[in-house]
Amino acid sequence: MTFEKPTNSRDVIDSPEETSRLERTWHSPGGLLGWFTHVNQRMIGKRFIITAFCFFLLAGILGILIRLQLAGPEQKLLGPELYNQFFTMHGTVMMFFFAIPVMEGFAIYFVPLMVGSRDMAFPRLNAFGYYVYLIGGIVLFGSLLLSMAPNAGWFNYVPLSSKLYSPGYGVDVWTTMITFIEVSALTAAVELIVTTLRMRAPGMSLNRMPLFVWAALVMSFMIVFAMPAVIVSSTLLILDRLVDTQFFIVESGGEPLLWQHLFWYFGHPEVYIILVPALGMISTIIITFTRRPIYGYTALVLSVVAIGFVSFGLWVHHMFTTGLPQLGMSFFTAASVTIAIPSGVQIFCWIASLWGAKIRFATPMLWVLGFFAIFVIGGLTGVMVASIPFDTQVHDTFFLVAHFHYVLIGGAVFPLIGATYYWWPKITGRMMSEAAGKWSFWLAFIGFNVTFFPMHQLGLEGMPRRIYTYVEEMGWGDLNLLATIGSLVLATGFGITLINAVWSVFRGRRAEPNPWGAPTLEWAADSPPASYNFRHIPVVHSRWPLWDWDTDRERAVVTGLRNDRREVVLTSILDAKPVGVQVLPAPTIWPFVSAVAASMGFIGIIFHPIFFVIAFFLVAFTLVAWFWPRRPWRND
Amino acid sequence: MKVVQGIDVSDMTRFNPDQRAPLWWGILGLITIESAVVLTFCVSYMYLAAYAEAWPPSGESAPPMLWPSINLGLLMLSSLTMYLGGRAIKRGNQRGLAIGVTASVLLASAVLVLRSLELMAYEFSWKDHAYGSIVWTISGFHYVHVTSIVFGSAVVAILAWRGYFTQQRQIGVVVDTNYWYFVCFAWIPFYLLLYWGPRVYGQ
Repeated sequence: MTFEKPTNSRDVIDSPEETSRLERTWHSPGGLLGWFTHVNQRMIGKRFIITAFCFFLLAGILGILIRLQLAGPEQKLLGPELYNQFFTMHGTVMMFFFAIPVMEGFAIYFVPLMVGSRDMAFPRLNAFGYYVYLIGGIVLFGSLLLSMAPNAGWFNYVPLSSKLYSPGYGVDVWTTMITFIEVSALTAAVELIVTTLRMRAPGMSLNRMPLFVWAALVMSFMIVFAMPAVIVSSTLLILDRLVDTQFFIVESGGEPLLWQHLFWYFGHPEVYIILVPALGMISTIIITFTRRPIYGYTALVLSVVAIGFVSFGLWVHHMFTTGLPQLGMSFFTAASVTIAIPSGVQIFCWIASLWGAKIRFATPMLWVLGFFAIFVIGGLTGVMVASIPFDTQVHDTFFLVAHFHYVLIGGAVFPLIGATYYWWPKITGRMMSEAAGKWSFWLAFIGFNVTFFPMHQLGLEGMPRRIYTYVEEMGWGDLNLLATIGSLVLATGFGITLINAVWSVFRGRRAEPNPWGAPTLEWAADSPPASYNFRHIPVVHSRWPLWDWDTDRERAVVTGLRNDRREVVLTSILDAKPVGVQVLPAPTIWPFVSAVAASMGFIGIIFHPIFFVIAFFLVAFTLVAWFWPRRPWRND
Repeated sequence: MKVVQGIDVSDMTRFNPDQRAPLWWGILGLITIESAVVLTFCVSYMYLAAYAEAWPPSGESAPPMLWPSINLGLLMLSSLTMYLGGRAIKRGNQRGLAIGVTASVLLASAVLVLRSLELMAYEFSWKDHAYGSIVWTISGFHYVHVTSIVFGSAVVAILAWRGYFTQQRQIGVVVDTNYWYFVCFAWIPFYLLLYWGPRVYGQ
């Protein structure tokens, strides 16, 4: 078997019958009931993306309300209780229900396309993960309407979140739904890892893999190793609240700091779980809009991997004021500063790629350039707060709020919006308006800086975070008003993108298969892709297959996959040599039923532990139905 | 541009011989995630122990060693019968597989019974102190996992008796066995912590 360009190979001739048979095999059932049976990776990915953006919108509205409350001294818009619920929900939803699912959604949609596969490794598990996410999100947001919303902050520190100081169901909703949604994140992570490692197109060795796929792979590994910590910490907290265990109760030998260690052991990598896929998006966009191979491919890959590793050694920098041993804290300062090195490598590789290139300043590229400005500021303030003396000064002030919004919005949301403009034609088959995109970018960029830059100053002036109001004498009124005006401009900027997206679905210019002239495989599929992604699985010879096709006379593909059932090629991990064929399962209702059964348990234990036992057996039975082999058993 | 044949996969295997299967990697992913949970529980136990004035708290004694040690033996034995069942189906021996898996299910069921009796005999509750909380939580975590492998492998055993698994069609057995090993071997760190730990810390 060879991956060299074939010589004397026979031509592949498509018959329309074969194509329509392929379509019948891979199509997703129609109708309302059919909707609940879909397992196709693009369907699931699209659902993740749309649902996540809905949560972004809702949490964004909460953010605006928080800003309106703080616009002037002694405002009466929200009371303290509602304010606590709003900032808790804003943080929780943005981190858990928007950022991770949207990144995983993009990965689920694009990784199989970018590696030249027809679907992912476990299509039914994919569907299960989505329903878990959807149900978890609805329950969490529904709690706000039922006045049961969590109000102890997205970090849920004990003893604030203990039964004594947070009576009611709010924290219970938080802990159960967070654990529940981690199940969704973890299923998607395992799915992405296996798909990336085993289902790449023949010839796409690891060193030819697109940078976004590398980033999604690193993100997935980080999820696998980080999320169990938050699952355990949430479990300990819910047990404390539900059945009176004593993990965090000091009088009975419990340790409140255990919560912070477990939470931040997850919570710090979490930031990079969000950032890493964004780095992949940036590289992807830079390659296309400079139209030349990226500078330092290997350095970029290694630095993303390094960021993944180092991010697990930083969690204590969230705990500098808790009175830990000095030597330990110094270690975590050093580790925190170290992560600037791989981040710097990324930035310098991108600058080198842009240097002297003929850059096309289309909308996706603008968002990437906006990222540079904002993320660098966020990174610099990050180095500042990694230093113990400085952190002691600004701890729990608005300086921190400014810092992490610079990192999170600059580091993740700006690249994400850029990627949305970039990949929109692939997902919908329509182009988004460039003019509206540019308006959106400039309003968001200016609005962002007007909102969050003054917060640095407010923090240095001593304004604490998480307060619902302040008195006029503190002198924080003007900057807060400015920040609130900025937030409205920022929201207008994002709003234009939303309108642009919806408008383009109906009225946008039709997109060709490769409108930006990109080099990666997702652009080899139709826009939007057919249900089977690729008519023929391509054979890859370089990192830039589509640019090769511009110059080559021949294009080699895989033949011999059956079209009457869902077959995909399995390849080896390092060099992507074909080793076998995998038959994927067809659409089914069972993942949905399983997710409903599991959600019964997670929602039920808010009220009584017995629901855990009931749901355990219900889920077990649904899993048996899901996996039970149907006759005739496959014999070939 | 001409589309030409690069690689023909028509003759390649459609079965999943062992490690080549995505499902094998999937179960490895689940085991990795759960191992991280196991590790986090162990670290939490040690963290609480390290900051406690006495471990177990004064007035409590460490739980007896005999029954958990017998459970350890039973779980290791059940891994062996599981392994033998898997080896049988690799040779195409369907009956051997069915007997092996059934034996494992019975052995693990015995563990569940013994563990239930042992837990009921604990002198402290999860409500009493952090020590009780972590001991009960780790015990409960592992108990639920043994229940799940008993349930899951019972299904595999039923399919095995019906002759579903063959020399080629055995990926279901492979992944079930791997998860079985994980649950049984996860007992080792828990056993050391829960039963040897207080005796070491208590010195």
